[in-house]
Amino acid sequence: MRSKRARLLSSILLAALPFSASAAAEGERVTITGEFIDTWCYFSGVMGGPDATVGSAHHTCAMWCSAGGVPVGLLGEDGQVYMVLKIEADDTSNGGDTQLSLATDTVTADGMLYKRDGLNYIVVSKIISNEGITRMTHADYGVVPDFAIPAPK
Amino acid sequence: MTICRSLMVTCMLGVPQICVGQDFSAGSEAATWNLYAEQPARFEAKVVDILCEITGDCPADCGAGKRQLGLVRSVDNVLVYPNKNNQPVFSGAANELLPFCGQQVEVDGLMINDPDIKGATNIYQLQKVRAVGAVDWVKANKWTKDWQAANPDSTGKEPWFRRDARVNAELAATGYLGLGLDTDAAFIKELFP
Repeated sequence: MRSKRARLLSSILLAALPFSASAAAEGERVTITGEFIDTWCYFSGVMGGPDATVGSAHHTCAMWCSAGGVPVGLLGEDGQVYMVLKIEADDTSNGGDTQLSLATDTVTADGMLYKRDGLNYIVVSKIISNEGITRMTHADYGVVPDFAIPAPK
Repeated sequence: MTICRSLMVTCMLGVPQICVGQDFSAGSEAATWNLYAEQPARFEAKVVDILCEITGDCPADCGAGKRQLGLVRSVDNVLVYPNKNNQPVFSGAANELLPFCGQQVEVDGLMINDPDIKGATNIYQLQKVRAVGAVDWVKANKWTKDWQAANPDSTGKEPWFRRDARVNAELAATGYLGLGLDTDAAFIKELFP
């Protein structure tokens, strides 16, 4: 029994070591294409599923959250979220102007990728191109949340 | 028990995927937000500037409010990302943690670990915080006061997000959908016939 436990622990450690090493590693230069999203709504499901918290349906909410200091992420084409720590010269990740102006836009960005404890972090060195809003989610979801657009007076 | 202790050791060695499911709910008084993957979580941690922690780019005072702040959990060295404060008004948690920059704190709130969403790992909704050893908790609800202090000319009864000049300038330029004012007008006509 004792050796079985020892084998289990050894297996866990062996399986985990490469991940641990990479988590603490230097950054890796990457080019990512993805949408600037509001990570709280996307991760928590507070406004609905992931498909409802991206694109045009969620644009106003994404701006509110970005201005409100909710962390911004790049939702990559690979489905991974890259938490944005800096965009070119602007390190104001807590409600900064640059990230606000890019809310919901799909961009291609060069940067340095870091991984730690299950999260991806990106320091964007350059926005190479900006396609604007590409997901027309309002066709399926209206606006999210539904009070984003006030009733005309 | 031996395996549990072994897992704790691996957590302390910095093996994150094993630690994700750890239960930090003991003693938590966090209120539910009825989120799919929420778990009450109360733990001790060091407040860090995340950009500094990740890359070594470390200005004084955790960036003096410009940057996102994280929680390096004391028991396992895991970097927890506080995404949200305790106000239901589209507000983050960095302002709440800034007074504790570099300090050891105790926090209470909700942890999000959702295996169905890539990256939804070690995401935290902060409800209250106190320095380790302090008696009184500080509720994580100062964001709107900070916003009002930074926007003294913005008056009215509407919530901050309806009065924010930066957001309203973006809305005036590209609309609520971000697709241009013509698209917006047509959509609003459908929405409110």
